[in-house]
Amino acid sequence: MLLTSLLVFSLVVLAHFALANSMLLIMGVVAAGFLWEHRIRHTRRTRSLSNVLVSPPLVSIIVPARNEALTIVESVRALLALEYKDREIVVVNDGSTDDTLARLIWAFQLVFAPVVYPEPVKTAPVCGVYRSMREPALVVVDKHSGGCKSDASNAGLNAASGDLVLIIDADTVLEPDGLSRAVLPFLEDPHIVGIGANVGLANGCGIEDGRVSQVALPRNWLARFQIVEYMRVFLLFRLACAAVNGVPIISGAFGLFRRDAIVAIGGYDTTSIGEDMDLTVRLHRYYRERREPYRITFDPNVLCWTQAPEDLASLRNQRWRWRRGLVQVLWRQRRMIGNPRFGTLGAAVLPFILLTEGIGPFVEMAGYLIATIAALAGLLDWRHYGLLIAVSLLFGWAATLLAVLLSDIATRRYMRGRDLAMLVIIAVLENLGYRQLNSWWSCVGTMQAMTGKGGWGAMRRRAFEGRNTIRA
Amino acid sequence: VGTFQSLAGAVIANGPSYFDGIAVISAWVGLALALSMCGAVVVARLACGWLALRSRQLERQYLPLIVRALAHDDAAVSALVAAPSRHQLIIAALLITPLIDDRDPSRVARTRTVVQAMSLVPVADRYLRSRLWWRRAIALRALGLLQLKDRTAAIVGALDDSNRNVRAAALDALSDLKDPASLQGVVVRLHDASLPLGRRIHALAAFGTQCEPFLLDLASVDRENRLGYAYALTICGTARARPTLCGWTCDERVAVRAASFEALAHVGLDHHAARLAIEALSSEEVLVRAMAARALSGWRDPGEAAARLGQHLDDVWTVAVEAARSLQTMSDAGVAVLITRAGRPDLAGLLARQMLWEVHVY
Repeated sequence: MLLTSLLVFSLVVLAHFALANSMLLIMGVVAAGFLWEHRIRHTRRTRSLSNVLVSPPLVSIIVPARNEALTIVESVRALLALEYKDREIVVVNDGSTDDTLARLIWAFQLVFAPVVYPEPVKTAPVCGVYRSMREPALVVVDKHSGGCKSDASNAGLNAASGDLVLIIDADTVLEPDGLSRAVLPFLEDPHIVGIGANVGLANGCGIEDGRVSQVALPRNWLARFQIVEYMRVFLLFRLACAAVNGVPIISGAFGLFRRDAIVAIGGYDTTSIGEDMDLTVRLHRYYRERREPYRITFDPNVLCWTQAPEDLASLRNQRWRWRRGLVQVLWRQRRMIGNPRFGTLGAAVLPFILLTEGIGPFVEMAGYLIATIAALAGLLDWRHYGLLIAVSLLFGWAATLLAVLLSDIATRRYMRGRDLAMLVIIAVLENLGYRQLNSWWSCVGTMQAMTGKGGWGAMRRRAFEGRNTIRA
Repeated sequence: VGTFQSLAGAVIANGPSYFDGIAVISAWVGLALALSMCGAVVVARLACGWLALRSRQLERQYLPLIVRALAHDDAAVSALVAAPSRHQLIIAALLITPLIDDRDPSRVARTRTVVQAMSLVPVADRYLRSRLWWRRAIALRALGLLQLKDRTAAIVGALDDSNRNVRAAALDALSDLKDPASLQGVVVRLHDASLPLGRRIHALAAFGTQCEPFLLDLASVDRENRLGYAYALTICGTARARPTLCGWTCDERVAVRAASFEALAHVGLDHHAARLAIEALSSEEVLVRAMAARALSGWRDPGEAAARLGQHLDDVWTVAVEAARSLQTMSDAGVAVLITRAGRPDLAGLLARQMLWEVHVY
């Protein structure tokens, strides 16, 4: 009886590995189709539209900044140098305790200005608004901390005067043509309400004047593993979701939205842990409930870069937080899960997330644990045990390598053959420990969400400096 | 679930050997997938590398010839004409792509001459008839960039193509072509929602004021789409459209009235239009009041207008902002009104101070 139970359980684990990764592979095929059409459609002539329009839409770039003194000036300079000229930059100093505001005042000759705007979204009190004597497109909102990034984003949303708002992290590095590319879908399709970008990791890259000047792989193995992980998430999952208007999350690192759409849903929810996913899912819900045509999409050719944690503690905190955010969103929007009224998102994407991200890590960890104990106790044949592990690894490798392939075709970020070979090796090694560690953190994060424990967690920040960057 | 239940049943019934079989098959499938993905990564990179290398080689080979051909070197043109047919599309791309950014008429004309000498236009015609939509789109964009006016009819015809991307490419081509013969084709598709909005706007802007007579003619018989015409006149309208727009400010539809004032803000006011805008500041509709306030922006006889706009600094936010912005453009009269409001502690006072601060008065 025990043996039979073990075998059935092994079958469950086997089916989980095969199904979850096969789904990723199928998504890869859908993503490849989307990517192919996207590339053919977005020719150089097509892309020139946002630069030749007489009055392109004004984009307000909202940069919530809390204790970002190390990177804020460089980041703002890089934003001011973007190719897309019809933009304003709204930096929200969210009660920083370091000299973020002082550095901005000094670098851009900010002066306290009588600026007034309506506040459709409630936030923590604003202490003052600063304008730059040198850069007319720069506005700095100084506010008391609301305790979360959402509150700062909402303050930026209030101060924004553009029809479109780009909400980015203070340490996000954009490609010079990133904004022009991201605006293009809004010009082509009036039903688009939000667009996400392809986020890469800046760790190891050379950064000059707030631009990635040289793309290279980091030396740190944790960062390397995260590179292929990001590829899998962005180029398999989100691209496939974009193909069926089911993008469940527009990353906080780069999200371009119609301002009126975000205001209509009340802005970011300040009680949400995963504010970016929460916002995206609420946008879907809002339009579906009103039966209004809309599209939330993802552009693989809009590239931006962000920092990834390079130490275990920071990474663990980040993953716990992400997991708590995911569980919170799934719980809050449980009515949407499996409900075809909410389109592909409700009928397919959210159930998939629930199965693979919500329940999956528990099945995986239980599978490893029980199978190992059973094998050690002699209850399970070592051959069965080996096959179980082999299936989990081989399907994982296939999915990750497909992500590497799509990334190489879509962006050619890592041009050197040596880097590509290393990516293949990383894709293999990532499945040997890192992925399992992530699953464990996912389980812990889920438990934290269910027991109401856990805070924001700290991440060690690094400055973008000079050529070979990112030094502690 | 059904498959899994039957598998589980079989495992329970047949024991470890059955599980073994399933696991072995799964492992082989996984291995095959992993190896094929690994191979695909290598093959894709090699293929891309080879294509890039070949492209660079051909660029090195033909770019000097292209530069000379565009500088009226007949020998270079002959060399391009004599190039192997398998290279001709790459040469065409090297010739035509720079025209996206460089619309110098003499360069366009010279490129067109070289392309015609190379007999590439029939290739474009063939592509126009292709079953593959991306080939049709490429051909249309090339014809537009080359300003081949004898192909205008074909491009206008492509506005009705079954593929959305081809229709968008046709609109791009007509924007680049700027052939008055296509103007009607562009204007009548002003309300065609199947064409990308941004491209429709760009096409109108490309023709500029040439569109205006057509717009006004069509608008006179197409009352239904008046809103669209009003928006179009905000892009390419002139003083000639003013009487028509003044007439539309009495339309029963709020959106049309607001759009008409918005268009008047673009074409400029005369005394009659200014009077209408001032009266519309008393409208019950917020949008109409806001656009009427915008229309008064820069009005050169601002006495009464400035006083009225000053009262609307206390209005709802959208109207207050438009009123404040217009006051800011009304030189001394506007600034005087703003100064009188600036001392107030409320939102209107703060808005007035912001406007004054922006023009370095406060």
